[in-house]
Amino acid sequence: MSSSDSKSETVTVEKRKTQRSVLRRFLDFYNQQEIARPLIPFIVILIASITLSPQYFLSPSNLKVVLFQSAPITLLALGEGMVIIMGSIDLTPGSVAGLSALITGLVTLSTGNIVLAMTIAVLAGLAVGSINGLLVSKFKVYSFIATLAGLEIWRAVDLTITGGSPIYGLTQYSFFMNDFHTFIPLIFIIALAINLVFWYLLTRTTWGRIIYGIGSNEEAVRLAGTHADLAKFLTFAIAGLLYGLAGVMLVPTGGYVVDPWTAYGYELYAIAAAVLGGIALTGGTGHPIGPFFGALILTILTDILIIMGITQYTIQEIIIGIILIAAAPALTRGLRWVK
Amino acid sequence: MPTNANNEDNVLLLAENITKRFPGTVALDNVTFDLKYGEVHGLLGQNGAGKSTLLKILYGYYKPDNGKIIIQGRETRFRNTADARKYGIILVNQEITLMPHLAVYENIALLGFLWGKAFSSFNKNNVKYQIKDLMDKYGIELNPELKVRELNAANKMLVQILAALSMNAKVILFDEPTSPMSLRETEQILDVIRSLKKSGISITFVTHKIQEAIEICDRITVLRNGKAIGTVNNSNITEKDLAEMMLGTKLKEFYLIKEDWAGNAIKERKKSEIPLIELQDVYTVPIKLTDVPLKGVNMKIYDGEVIAVFGLIGAGKSELGRLLVGLGKIIKGRILYYGKSIKIKSPTHALEKYKIAYLPEDRKTDGIIPHYSVASNISVSALFLISKAKFLLDLRREHDLATTMIRSFNIRTASPYVKITSLSGGNQQKTLVARGLASRAKLLIIDEPTVGVDIGAKIEIRKTIYKLSKEDNISVLVLTSDLDEALGIADRLYFMHEGTVLKEYIIKSDNVEDVRKKVIEDLAQVSSYI
Repeated sequence: MSSSDSKSETVTVEKRKTQRSVLRRFLDFYNQQEIARPLIPFIVILIASITLSPQYFLSPSNLKVVLFQSAPITLLALGEGMVIIMGSIDLTPGSVAGLSALITGLVTLSTGNIVLAMTIAVLAGLAVGSINGLLVSKFKVYSFIATLAGLEIWRAVDLTITGGSPIYGLTQYSFFMNDFHTFIPLIFIIALAINLVFWYLLTRTTWGRIIYGIGSNEEAVRLAGTHADLAKFLTFAIAGLLYGLAGVMLVPTGGYVVDPWTAYGYELYAIAAAVLGGIALTGGTGHPIGPFFGALILTILTDILIIMGITQYTIQEIIIGIILIAAAPALTRGLRWVK
Repeated sequence: MPTNANNEDNVLLLAENITKRFPGTVALDNVTFDLKYGEVHGLLGQNGAGKSTLLKILYGYYKPDNGKIIIQGRETRFRNTADARKYGIILVNQEITLMPHLAVYENIALLGFLWGKAFSSFNKNNVKYQIKDLMDKYGIELNPELKVRELNAANKMLVQILAALSMNAKVILFDEPTSPMSLRETEQILDVIRSLKKSGISITFVTHKIQEAIEICDRITVLRNGKAIGTVNNSNITEKDLAEMMLGTKLKEFYLIKEDWAGNAIKERKKSEIPLIELQDVYTVPIKLTDVPLKGVNMKIYDGEVIAVFGLIGAGKSELGRLLVGLGKIIKGRILYYGKSIKIKSPTHALEKYKIAYLPEDRKTDGIIPHYSVASNISVSALFLISKAKFLLDLRREHDLATTMIRSFNIRTASPYVKITSLSGGNQQKTLVARGLASRAKLLIIDEPTVGVDIGAKIEIRKTIYKLSKEDNISVLVLTSDLDEALGIADRLYFMHEGTVLKEYIIKSDNVEDVRKKVIEDLAQVSSYI
């Protein structure tokens, strides 16, 4: 090849590069920066919501609703997200949060001590999570099966304790809704702060490092001589703790009422928010702040549907399902098969 | 030297001026390749030279950016692999998906006779009869009733070849067919290829093994960095010439290697020295179906020693390595750690208590952690070294560790923080070996450290292992089926066969060739029992 040939070729290649560059660079950024995965859909839905109904959506009262509703979902998605990063799945978030909410209500009623109530509720979450963790790490039960059993059992426990009747008037928990700053409720700040703490834990501790590794290639991580089983157990246990905390938060966000069906079906919200937050169902990837944005996306979506007059619960569920289907393939892209 | 024999009548398949770009690289740069009727045309090159890309273009898997494919004088465009198969061009590779739970004849039927037919009657006996015919014709011996999962690598390849033949293949493309195979299996496959050639089938044979190319090919095209360096006739070429074409400037290093290493003085051992690890008459039972049980293994590993365990596939090398990190079941005998009998429970236990690390053979499935960065892949066995209070990662220490290792092993990566999957195979392998050495293990067990990487990377990996072992007084157990590697790297060599250690050799600078001869004799002896 003569030199002029090669030169002209380089020129055309350069041209092609600049033509593609904007889209390319964006896609490269999107692919390489895990934080972009939740951030971009979040910005899109935010702009869409503002455009669709600026006067309602941007009203302080509506913004406050969005923010406080996203708080428990953030914690559920955070716990679920860690488990998903590890390549497992947890179906207990809804049941555990329900149980914890119920315990909060019952202990508050009987003792009036809200600190005690919240502590017991969170510890109950930790206990259930530990059972999940033991089943998965010690007894090698598939996480899907182990937690499917939990999904049923803990909901049944709820129903048994209460006999099916709700608990009203738990207004002691209204401090959660106090405005931290104009329309930003305290509960939202707590959820965000917890997620930020877990950002640190997931990226800066050996535990966080190992769970990303387990989701990526468990066999390799084990052969590398890491404490994979311990990390697995801890992940499920901590996830349980976060569901417990979410359960406590459901007391104020649910209108100070708790019933045995509180948080029913929330495992799907947890999974949906984690996935919308860019945590791939195949494990090993996902930004630790993803659950926060995932929960916000999900809450804004529900909110804007209500603003637009689509109040039927079923239609919302269908739309969430469709979004899950749309988001999941994007995140599992590159995988040849899924089991 | 390059002969572009464009005898139109003789050429079955011509790929002309093929260029193929991938993001960031030019995989093939203006490469021309021709295949004559009934010849074996080898494609030789290091990893990343573009051999597989060219093969996949011939098979219609990739579309070339530039260039033409001409079959029997007519220009042809393949839209997909199905098009290529219609022309009788069939790719046979190690990774193709046979269906493990189906029998040999069922696999052949699905991939061959019934290929491309959505609904078709399937007469078992008829198919078996036709397969028997094919096997007789090409001298292949294989029980069609066996389940594919029970077959070894060579027989799996035979299944693919039979499937190709059942479709009246005119051209069979082999992609590194022998890399997972033992010597005997390799011979078996090469014999079949010879008989395919005799009956007029054209063959393209991709390999990075010079020896193999000389043994089987009529003509050899050497690729380097996506460019065709030249096409030569086998009759007038030497190994050295080919190595020179393949490697470019690295040739000198390639030949100096043994002198460099074997020249290193071996520390004289006192008779009283207690070995780091000693195996006394160890018998195991298999954990997995494919495992080879160990039958009375005796072995001593001293501090700072590089030991090669040489044996073919099925010798029990991997099982030995896995046993030493707690992945084995001992039924008799014991393992001594500085003279004390120990029981190793798991890889974690082995690493933390006894400082034994194991690097598995299968890089893709057991080795790399694909979502991790290069740095994290290096540090995963050394988390205790880069963390404070046992759990807080110190990213600065990780950075130092990773950059040191990247420098020692000359890992070619844009930064320590790119994903490991963006590296070439050889550099991934270097990263894994770096992981083992980063763990500060006293005994590092490396299963096939250089399998499937190009010669340049091989040399670098072996050198660094040897150097770091001597510098830091680390014992290294290299499990290998590559005799050159065993002789090149080791102070001592154990020859294993079917779960037992048959011989032990001490390798010194002046007896390398003697040991080579002896090991080859040993091998011939044990192979002739069967």
